[in-house]
Amino acid sequence: MSDARQAVQAVAARELVTVARSRAALVLFVAVTLAVVAVALTGSSDPRYLPTTVDLLLPLEVLVPAVAVALGYRTIAADVRRGELDVLETYPVSTRGYVAGVFLGRLTALVVILGIPLALVGVVLAVTSTDTPSVLAAQRGVDSPLVFVRFAVLTLLYALVVLAMALAASALARSRRSALVLAIVVLGFVVVGLDLLVIRGFAGGFVGSDRLTAVLALSPTSAYRGLVFETVISTAIDTDLRQAVPLFNVLGLLLWTGLSFGVTTVALSSR
Amino acid sequence: MTEQLTHQTEPGTVDGGVLVADDLSRQFGSVTVIDGLSLGLEAGELHALVGPNGSGKTTLLQLLAGIDSPTAGAVRYEGPAAPRKIGYLPQRPSFRPGFTARETLEFYTALVDTDPEGLLDRVGLADAADRRVDELSGGMVRLLGLAQATVGDPPVILLDEPGSGLDPGMRRRMAELGRELAADGAAVLYSSHDLELVEAHSDRVFVVDGGSIVDRGAPDSLRGAYGVETLWDAFEAAVDSSGDLDVIGVSDS
Repeated sequence: MSDARQAVQAVAARELVTVARSRAALVLFVAVTLAVVAVALTGSSDPRYLPTTVDLLLPLEVLVPAVAVALGYRTIAADVRRGELDVLETYPVSTRGYVAGVFLGRLTALVVILGIPLALVGVVLAVTSTDTPSVLAAQRGVDSPLVFVRFAVLTLLYALVVLAMALAASALARSRRSALVLAIVVLGFVVVGLDLLVIRGFAGGFVGSDRLTAVLALSPTSAYRGLVFETVISTAIDTDLRQAVPLFNVLGLLLWTGLSFGVTTVALSSR
Repeated sequence: MTEQLTHQTEPGTVDGGVLVADDLSRQFGSVTVIDGLSLGLEAGELHALVGPNGSGKTTLLQLLAGIDSPTAGAVRYEGPAAPRKIGYLPQRPSFRPGFTARETLEFYTALVDTDPEGLLDRVGLADAADRRVDELSGGMVRLLGLAQATVGDPPVILLDEPGSGLDPGMRRRMAELGRELAADGAAVLYSSHDLELVEAHSDRVFVVDGGSIVDRGAPDSLRGAYGVETLWDAFEAAVDSSGDLDVIGVSDS
């Protein structure tokens, strides 16, 4: 194994162990599990994949950024404050390697915290759903486990993007308080801020209806929502209404991820 | 002990060595913290950095460690190829809470693909290996920091006030560990206000004031040059003669 890869792995393992030993992370996991299962079980009287996906979409638009920000907002800032980043400068670990390690470690924890509740709901649906097809059908009008799997994958993708943004905020923070403030800013920005900007632009005539789907792709939450509509819900419901252009939405999410990594790396390099 | 430098070395000249600072300057805005400073660290020697508070010791160590970048001048590593060239102990070492001393060192050793075994033993923390770092005393954290600074057997080891805040016994232990590291071939530089320990253990002393080295040499030669009995007196004389007198912050304890 190369030195760089080994260093990334060591940093990632440390992040994962940190989260695994954190009581706050355990509480977060239990809370997310309870919330997701409760919404899935009480949100609809119809225990099928598609209605449950629709029920979960809006709560997860808020829950996912909250969990991702909670997991990521302090980690780099704390390493800087403790002087551990100074010490790491004397090791063969590049800034990019450190950022990659922190991201991979926290992402693994995030996938567990969000993935297990979603998997649990999937299992419950598989057991309770009365008309689950024996084949993983993807054609229009057919409710299937594939619908829910796609939804779960997109949810984790959304979490990945917000985690990258939270790490960027953490790298920019200069104190514990500023880390918290920046985390709240990121959360507000992701959950409502960008969408409100788009709505204001649309209402003010700055964004035309012909460009609305493209502009919405620039908001991580709208991009996620659009992808769920286009690649999950639309596959099961026969409709000609286009909610989003999936390519734009994927590019929007990639843009925020790349931008966040760039900000994180530059912020740490120019300390 | 290797050959001692004579006192006649001119402040500002570059010595040879495994780590060389050449005409180093560091400014923060309009404040010059390091001003055209040059020095070299020799393998197998224990070097001490002494100077009043605010004289630029910590900044100099950070520049030498590559943590900070100089405004002018350069730091050159001239030592052997090594996975980790420079080890560094910050003034206030701190580690991620929730991990034991052993796990902390396992993390750092994994970064350079070496074995953590023996590191805790060397600094006398073997019995505390399974204690969490947030449960260690200040002295133990500093010892763990010293163990961290030696991970990967770096040819250059920089220690920022390793004895600060420790009891006399622990301070002596720190100095002895520095001595042992130098005996193993490393070039060790540590900053200290404890001139008695510096006098007893160091091969070479750099006296820093106002961001410059105002004198340098073996403790014996520094004493001889000023015709005084102790390194403390030589230090006072060196700082006095630099014309930038500020020894209020320096204690001899």
